[in-house]
Amino acid sequence: MTDVTLSGIHKRFGAVHAVRGVDLAIPDGEFTVLVGPSGCGKSTLLRIIAGLEEADAGTVAIGGQVVNHLPPRERNVAMVFQNYALYPHMKVYDNIAFGLRARKVAESEIGERVKRAAGMLSIGNLLDRLPRQLSGGQRQRVAIGRAIVRDARLFLFDEPLSNLDAQLRDDMRSEIKRLHRDLSTTMIYVTHDQIEAMTLADRIVLLRDGRIEQMGAPLDLFERPATRFVAGFLGSPAMNFVPARLSADASVVEVDAAMLAVPAGRRASLAGRGASAVVLGLRPEHMRRFADGEQREGVVRLGVTIELIQPTGSRTYATFRLAGVPVVAELQAHDVNRPNERLDLGVDMNRAVLIDPATDRVL
Amino acid sequence: MTQTTTSSTERLVAGRGIGGFGERHFKYTVLAPAIFILLLIGLFPLVYSLIVSFQRVTMMSADTSFAGFANYAKLFADARLWESLLHTAIFAAIALPLELVLGLAMAQLFLERMPGRQVFVALLVLPTVISPIVAGANWRLMFDHRFGPINQVIGWFMGEPTPILWIINPLTVYPAILICEVWQWTPFMFLILLAALSNVDKSLTEAAEIDGASQWRIFTRIVLPAIWPVMAIAILIRGLDLVRLFDIVWSLTRGGPGTMTETISYYTYVQGFSQFEISYTAAMAFLVVALLTVIVTLALKRMGIAR
Amino acid sequence: MTSAIARRRARLALRYAAATIVTATFVFPIYWLFMTSFKTPEEIFASPPQWYPGSIQFQNFNVLFLDGDAIAVWNSLVTAGISTVIAMFLGTLAAYSLARFKTGGDNLAVWILSQRMMPPIAIVFPVFLLYVWLGWVDSFIGLILLYTAFNLPYVIWMMRGYIGDVPLELEESAQVDGCTRWQVLLKVVFPLVRSGLFATAVFTFVFAWNEFIFALVLTRTEIVTYPVQVTRYFGGQSNFWAKIAAMSVLGTLPIFIAVAMMQRYLVRGISMGAVKG
Repeated sequence: MTDVTLSGIHKRFGAVHAVRGVDLAIPDGEFTVLVGPSGCGKSTLLRIIAGLEEADAGTVAIGGQVVNHLPPRERNVAMVFQNYALYPHMKVYDNIAFGLRARKVAESEIGERVKRAAGMLSIGNLLDRLPRQLSGGQRQRVAIGRAIVRDARLFLFDEPLSNLDAQLRDDMRSEIKRLHRDLSTTMIYVTHDQIEAMTLADRIVLLRDGRIEQMGAPLDLFERPATRFVAGFLGSPAMNFVPARLSADASVVEVDAAMLAVPAGRRASLAGRGASAVVLGLRPEHMRRFADGEQREGVVRLGVTIELIQPTGSRTYATFRLAGVPVVAELQAHDVNRPNERLDLGVDMNRAVLIDPATDRVL
Repeated sequence: MTQTTTSSTERLVAGRGIGGFGERHFKYTVLAPAIFILLLIGLFPLVYSLIVSFQRVTMMSADTSFAGFANYAKLFADARLWESLLHTAIFAAIALPLELVLGLAMAQLFLERMPGRQVFVALLVLPTVISPIVAGANWRLMFDHRFGPINQVIGWFMGEPTPILWIINPLTVYPAILICEVWQWTPFMFLILLAALSNVDKSLTEAAEIDGASQWRIFTRIVLPAIWPVMAIAILIRGLDLVRLFDIVWSLTRGGPGTMTETISYYTYVQGFSQFEISYTAAMAFLVVALLTVIVTLALKRMGIAR
Repeated sequence: MTSAIARRRARLALRYAAATIVTATFVFPIYWLFMTSFKTPEEIFASPPQWYPGSIQFQNFNVLFLDGDAIAVWNSLVTAGISTVIAMFLGTLAAYSLARFKTGGDNLAVWILSQRMMPPIAIVFPVFLLYVWLGWVDSFIGLILLYTAFNLPYVIWMMRGYIGDVPLELEESAQVDGCTRWQVLLKVVFPLVRSGLFATAVFTFVFAWNEFIFALVLTRTEIVTYPVQVTRYFGGQSNFWAKIAAMSVLGTLPIFIAVAMMQRYLVRGISMGAVKG
């Protein structure tokens, strides 16, 4: 049983308060992704769990044991680093065996375990090479092999894929996911890439300025963001934020001259604010070309003039202006053919989010 | 229950930190022996000198009574001391620019790749790594007015034998020492400047060339500023060596003729180990240390060497 | 087109000529030293001077060994060798502390560097008095300790740079993999700075090998090092140049060999790390 519990973690680097009170309980076997923009404290948090940094306040418990005072080697965790951290003076075999030798495992057993780990990652043919003779993807596999060979109770990943090119990154992502399925060890994974977070995580912990902004299952966070920051961070292209007004009875959102009806089911929770300024958050995929005669609950019609089109092949991204800000809609490939085209869009108000501009919290 | 666990852990953290005593103090454990030796051999003598410089100790009498600033006052009246400082300044003021300019010119010559460059560079390094004592001795042999090759070569150019008494004649003794000094340390400048020049980003000079700048302008406005940080360190290293100049004077002229080529280090040595004016030597040593400390501090500050 | 090639050829020839003249000028005194060591006294004292010896003979060296003067080279080897090993060991450990933990911050690092800048003449006198009191004058232990201290700042400063070049991630990875601090040093850091260690050791050795003032003051008869031995021939009997040259060659050859082995690190070494070359 390797659950990880952080409570009241603080960390300062001189004047910088990098982690400001993080409480987090990670159950055994879960794949948790710490994600956030650079400087949000996610790597620091991971390093505190590994024992590479010491928390200024708070406790770290791994498997029910408080480990604050333990050096990294006594925590029995494995870590994969951003730049792979392969020892350049050792062959691949010795790199993978390094941790086992440090723990005085018998040579015969080391050989077996190294071969098994190498087999899992299909790097069995590279064992006699030096790290500098490997490609980036191969190095990453060796780094992961070094982690899994140890049978550590907890795996930590610090942006392991950020140095790989796009294609390799996709491959390694599924590799890591498969690994988690096979080993079902608790894994904590740090990344700044929201796609990695969405695809890998059982649970995403979104950090901002040293605090947890929101955590939950990927789709929960995506569909029910708590704040404007979360709404904007997840999703690509990012959510559009349009200044708007909510009517007193919460029946209508007013953007420019357009009146967008709020679905009846959502009005109750929004009423009581009175007429007020709000930010309307629309994901590109919340808009589509409006088909004549279409009548769907919550989908409202909006006439726009397209300024810019960016076809990707499968989709076409169309930019138009709403209340003075550029808004991107994700349309079918041939929905729009040239700039300055006038178009009617159907806006799905069931999925749109409304944000209080004063607090940036989602209403 | 949870409350007590937390607070006891916090005490644990505050008291031991990651890894407990051994690893917490690792950084001091590995540093301590070196610092101990540096304090013993570096700091202790200075403190000792400082104390003795306020006493009246000589070879003859171990008079440790307090002399106030008497020894320091004596420094100001000691003409031979000021002359030795002047000699040191002259050596430094001539040798340093010469080494710098010659080194830079040589670096330019070898900057462009050419087959066999490695061999040339490897040979040019040799003077810098041999002992200054050997260098001085060897040049003394070379300058010998009868058996030395220098006068011989000069004779060829003059068309008649020219018996210059290099290290005996007051007019030629300075050039003799300077030639030896510049011979030994120009390669040092050359090596460092060659590396610095090679590291200058080619795109900078190429951009300037496209902008139509002259070669001279490119050199003074782009190349020189780019290599300045390295040049500054080379100047600092050599400058300090020159202030401490001792070895080649010892083996080439022994401060002579008379006391004409005594440097400050040389004169301090004479006071200490020929005359055994212990307290006075201590005061003088302190003057040298103070002088160097000022130079080093100013230089380090100006150059921002302390990354 | 062809004229451009011709111009380039002419330019290269010109540069070769200049390079040859410059190099010959700088190498000539060394040539002279080596040739002198092979000359007979008659050839040394020939006027006009002889540009090369009539035959390569080792009589001058033989004399040094017969007189027992050659022991000076051994003394130099012992003092420089042992002090280098100690300075490298202690200095590298200290450098690790400075590089990785920023112990003492920049101030300590600069203080250590400034120790390097101290004039030997300022400390040699009190050290001499200290050694008289301890009975260490003319003893290996005294000179070795002094050279160790003299070279420590250099070793610390240089190794701090080399260790700083080792990616921190490697050490962290080793820690997570189960190594103690000492194991990290031995299994990861030292192997990775091996060439830096080697280069720094060679320089440290050369500095100690060539050092003069300390050796002059602190040796009498037992452990005279070779530079001091060279100066002892000045003003001696008629064949002193033969001995000076032979002793100088004995003391210079090892250095040439050492430096030739580490050309690649030469610039970083002599510039005190200012140029990574």
